[in-house]
Amino acid sequence: MVTRQKQVRDLQEGGYVMMDEAACKITHYSTAKPGKHGSAKARVEGKGVFDGKKRSFSQPVDAKIRVPIIERKQGQVINVESASVAQVMDLDTYETITISTPDDADLSAEDDIEFLELEGQRKIIS
Amino acid sequence: MFPGASTPREDADYVIVGAPLDATTSFQPGARFGPGRVRTFAETFDDYDVRTDRQFSDLSVHDHGDVRAWNDVPDYVDHLSGVVRDVVWDDAIPLLLGGEHTVSAAGVRATEPELFVSIDAHLDLREEYDGDEWSHACVTRHALETAEEAIVVGARTGSEAEWERAAEADVTVVPPEDVGPWLQAVVGGARDPFSNKRVYLSVDVDGADPAFAPGTGTMEPFGLTSREMRGVVRAAAPHCIGFDAVEVNDRDDGQAAALGGKLLREFVYTHAHATD
Repeated sequence: MVTRQKQVRDLQEGGYVMMDEAACKITHYSTAKPGKHGSAKARVEGKGVFDGKKRSFSQPVDAKIRVPIIERKQGQVINVESASVAQVMDLDTYETITISTPDDADLSAEDDIEFLELEGQRKIIS
Repeated sequence: MFPGASTPREDADYVIVGAPLDATTSFQPGARFGPGRVRTFAETFDDYDVRTDRQFSDLSVHDHGDVRAWNDVPDYVDHLSGVVRDVVWDDAIPLLLGGEHTVSAAGVRATEPELFVSIDAHLDLREEYDGDEWSHACVTRHALETAEEAIVVGARTGSEAEWERAAEADVTVVPPEDVGPWLQAVVGGARDPFSNKRVYLSVDVDGADPAFAPGTGTMEPFGLTSREMRGVVRAAAPHCIGFDAVEVNDRDDGQAAALGGKLLREFVYTHAHATD
């Protein structure tokens, strides 16, 4: 998976991080203040970008963590197959892909959309 | 470790979290020692409970240890609520050990109950105390930011503004002298404040008469007996999604800590028995 390393202290809400091998968007970040002899620990909550599952971890703020490099791409809807699946043309590569659509999406052919992509996983965001 | 709380975290149905916050205590300090005192004075309790026919150490309880506290109270409550949220996400019941009563706000945020039940001498409905909206005297008000209603059992004191707030529809006050008949009505089925609700139960040990639990920050006479508190815990426990015992300090010979620890065990026995 395409990732880069960061220190836990550099994470922030709204950013991405790998948790249990899944790319997650950070929904909550808090730091426990260190005691006289301890080191500060951060607690990070996230939601799977592609599976929607909630996850969390606690690590010292200077620990190294992997952050996924998620591509944000443009696409155009070719065909709406069903309430939950659409065919979309990637406007960078002109490749046609099948992509599941969010519950609240109201898509029609020729709509321009944005989607996230990470190693074959895709999610429409607008 | 709390005696008998030796189940690994991943297998636990109940997780004890110590929250030794002692930042806004307005009279006798020492709540920071509460979690440790409760663990110590629980050491002599028998593992077996004859009423429910259960061994405490068989009830899948894990002790997470303490979440070290610091003086930025909203920041600490935010962090603590995250730690408790992990317990909830693991489908376990959080059992917080205070610490001052403010820590209940973290338990409530994490569990999102509909009903906040607090055994407490004080209404804790102040908007601020000594200029601090995060004072331990404001915790019921904070709980009502999440919960839809609150029942304060054993309340016997408050400011004029708090009593006015308590008169609103979302707050029920059961004064100490009414707790006996109220419990009888609940147990007998004539009154049903808990069922079909997600309940969070908070035990401020100062709800007890100071004769039973002198080791607390703000003693208030004319309080509940320890048996009445046990009755409330037994009645509410089957409906609870979270529990805490707070405001135990080190200014007695262990009476407050023993009561807090015993009520925590009573909660676990009763909840496990009812939900089996």
